Amino acid sequence: MIADGVEDEEKWLSAGIAGLQQNAFYMNRAMDSNNLRDALKFSAQMLSELRTSKLSPQKYYALYMRAFDELKRLELFFKEEAQRGCSFIDLYELVQHAGNILPRLYLLCTVGSVYIESKEAPAKDVLKDLVEMCRGIQHPLRGLFLRSYLSQVSKDKLPDIGSNYEGSYTDCESFILLADPELRLAIGLSGLQGPAREKEKREKERNALRDLVGKNLHALSQIEGVDLDMYKETVLPRVLEQVVNCKDDLAQFYLMDCIIQVFPDEYHLQTLEVLLSACPQLQPSVDIKTVLSRLMERLSNYAASSTEVLPEFLQVEAFAKLNNAIGKVIEAQVDMPIFGAVTLYSSLLTFTLHVHPDRLDYADQVLGACVKKLSTIGKLDDNRATKQIVALLSAPLEKYNDIVTALKLSNYPRVMEYLDNETNKVMASIIIQSVMKNNTRISTADNVEALFELMKGLIKDLDETYEEVDEDDFKEEQNSVARLIQMLYNEDPDEMFKIITVVKTHVMTGGPKRLPFTVPPLVFSTLKLVKRLQGQEENPFANETSTTPKKIFQLLNQIIEALSSVPAPETALRLYLQCAEAANDCDLEPVAYEFFTQAYILYEEEISDSRAQVTAIHLIIGTLQRMHVFGVENRDTLTHKATGYSAKLLKKPDQCRAVYGCAHLFWNDDQDNMKDGERVLLCLKRALRIANAAQQMSSAARGSTGSVTLFVEILNKYLYFFEKGNPQITVAAIQSLIELITTEMQSDSSTPDPAADAFFASTVRYIQFQKQKGGSIGERYESIKA
Amino acid sequence: MASRRRMLLKVIILGDSGVGKTSLMNQYVNRKFSNQYKATIGADFLTKEVQFDDRLFTLQIWDTAGQERFQSLGVAFYRGADCCVLVYDVNVMKSFDSLNNWREEFLIQASPPDPENFPFVVLGNKIDVDGGNSRVVSEKKAKTWCASKGNIPYFETSAKDGFNVEAAFECIAKNALKNEPEEDPYLPETIDMTGGQQQRSSGCEC
Repeated sequence: MIADGVEDEEKWLSAGIAGLQQNAFYMNRAMDSNNLRDALKFSAQMLSELRTSKLSPQKYYALYMRAFDELKRLELFFKEEAQRGCSFIDLYELVQHAGNILPRLYLLCTVGSVYIESKEAPAKDVLKDLVEMCRGIQHPLRGLFLRSYLSQVSKDKLPDIGSNYEGSYTDCESFILLADPELRLAIGLSGLQGPAREKEKREKERNALRDLVGKNLHALSQIEGVDLDMYKETVLPRVLEQVVNCKDDLAQFYLMDCIIQVFPDEYHLQTLEVLLSACPQLQPSVDIKTVLSRLMERLSNYAASSTEVLPEFLQVEAFAKLNNAIGKVIEAQVDMPIFGAVTLYSSLLTFTLHVHPDRLDYADQVLGACVKKLSTIGKLDDNRATKQIVALLSAPLEKYNDIVTALKLSNYPRVMEYLDNETNKVMASIIIQSVMKNNTRISTADNVEALFELMKGLIKDLDETYEEVDEDDFKEEQNSVARLIQMLYNEDPDEMFKIITVVKTHVMTGGPKRLPFTVPPLVFSTLKLVKRLQGQEENPFANETSTTPKKIFQLLNQIIEALSSVPAPETALRLYLQCAEAANDCDLEPVAYEFFTQAYILYEEEISDSRAQVTAIHLIIGTLQRMHVFGVENRDTLTHKATGYSAKLLKKPDQCRAVYGCAHLFWNDDQDNMKDGERVLLCLKRALRIANAAQQMSSAARGSTGSVTLFVEILNKYLYFFEKGNPQITVAAIQSLIELITTEMQSDSSTPDPAADAFFASTVRYIQFQKQKGGSIGERYESIKA
Repeated sequence: MASRRRMLLKVIILGDSGVGKTSLMNQYVNRKFSNQYKATIGADFLTKEVQFDDRLFTLQIWDTAGQERFQSLGVAFYRGADCCVLVYDVNVMKSFDSLNNWREEFLIQASPPDPENFPFVVLGNKIDVDGGNSRVVSEKKAKTWCASKGNIPYFETSAKDGFNVEAAFECIAKNALKNEPEEDPYLPETIDMTGGQQQRSSGCEC
């Protein structure tokens, strides 16, 4: 049905064009032979094609444009005729013989424009005459195009300042305004015609036609005579009066938009009150939020264009007026969807941020009004509205590039309350990104508190219901929280401690899924604070409230303990060891011991995976080796335990490696009281026994002995301690180890292992090298045969 | 006498909202400039007489709405254009990026018979702003684009102080003049007897 309509229309248009072209052909021929009478006749026939009622506005426009091009030639011809002595009055009379009214009026307008150009008659009289006659066409489509033609051909002939045509502003104003009111009525009425099922089509047609109406306003704005005073006193009030009186929502919306777009910013600023006062008088169905948003957008851009224009805004109290108007509109239009209200507040906020960057109270006021509106409907579930809220809340971040400024807006978090959980998270992520991008330093506990309050969507589950979340998204967002935690910093240790305490309180509420992401950065941030304090002398004036490493370690203990609820024993163990080392650096033996104890408990009770155990053991050995704070007793307990754990690992090779690693626990190069050669040797011998056992087990199980790698590793340990001067490590022991390896490698039952061969070969090369070095080292190595 | 068709040269100015299309036209035709931004609604033209080789031509310069919502009737006025001017603001990257769309849209809608060789001219406007400090599209970049589209002539202009406007429009007019008439002259398919009768009755000798 619709397709048919379109096809029909195409057909009508083609027919119209064909008729038009044919007549245009004869018209041109007549003009070429200077035959005025025929030229007029064929032009009238050509223009008759415009009498059709079968075309939609766009198609009609296509036809009209062809006629228009032809009329331009006719216009040139009329000028030639005038040069040949034909008077315009005669021409003016002659064209009136055209039989149909529409062609007659097109021809009249054409002659009229040339007539004015000739200055044989006052422009204003001719124009007035034409305007009056054009009123004769009542059909909206044909009438609008005709008037548009008149307005177009006479545009550059309006009496205006500096123009060639005499007259005053009032003449051309009356011309434009005269042409207007019934047009608007026409556009309005055409919407009411026709059966209801065609309403959609009608709306579309009316929408297409609106430019013809808007053009009049455009023409008005181009007239130089319309200065600010004129605009303020006459033009705007009269245009608005017509807009209000036309009572058609579509026309009202469009015309308001046109007024805003075609007149300059300065005019709008100086007439804000008048313009805004028209808004409540429009039909309730007018999309007023878009009108006002566009006005504010325009003015925001104007404000942003140059600081020189800002005083204009202040002088007219633009913010107060807009704020007031928006309040009234929202109040009056009870049915306005929340999306609309939020859009308005968002535009107003952008406006005030541009115009009054120093007035945070204005911004807060806008947010406050938005909260008030939101409170009437509760949590949002309108997708478009939430998007607008995100835009609203992002605006201050984009303007100031500093979350700290936004944190001063008391209503900012209150707006966020109304977002659904998902959007709340999105907003929180935007905030974090802003901090990252601008490298914002958030340096007071109060700000951190406010910030974490804003981000709580990322910090904890907002309600009980289980939400399906994408694992990767979750990781990404938690990683961003982790990065943020690292950004918090204050020079003053006391304030920094407060910050950490605040973060801890928030992070602890995160639950088992988030803690593994948030606890480590918090621990490391805290350890950085410890490091800062560590070099300082004990403050003699320190009171109970001042921050001491001891106090911080207590806090750290609590923080890491939280991981037990996850559970994440491996992470916790690493963190305990880090803390132990920090306590060591602060010379706090009992604290360090306590952290080790915690790590050991985790090892014994929580870490059951054999690979995890191997990793943990090596971490323990490594940390313990570096500790210097422990007294003999504590140290013995801890090393004893560590060796015990090592020997109890599941796999023999793992046991072996852990045990020879333990040898280092008894030998610290930097401290003479920690060089227990005997126990080093015990460890190495034990490792050797385990390696032997491993070799036998492998031969029993597979019929071939395993690789000699473990022996070569142990040999390297022997060489290390030998070189360090451990008297217990003898040349003989090394010599026999080398022989053992050589024999093993040559045995038939051994599995070939090129890596082990290479390892051994380079060990032997090392020995040779040390020999050649000479000096005390060379002397030491001298007796080893390899 | 010369065909009236060839005495009228039709030029269309296209480009994003706010790049200065109206200002360029006003500067060229009326030698006037206003800093105030006023949106254009629909399409409208100004005319200017130009002289080439002792012949007088009327340049019909069509200024268009950069904002789509003010172009509700469509673009039937593209038809019969002799030259298309693409304008961007050298201080706004997006307006430069849009040139391609404007060009393609024009070629589709106006469907000239030889789109490959249809004359375009590109103007980089507002070079006066902030002493050139806020410029984001380099002359080189613009020229590279123009070269890639079949060596479109390129001008850097300032509608505000009139810089290069006259030269640009001279080039526009020359290119418009070089453009062949887009359609074959219309010829009635058959001798129209009714038309003939009408002519007789009006006393014409043809």
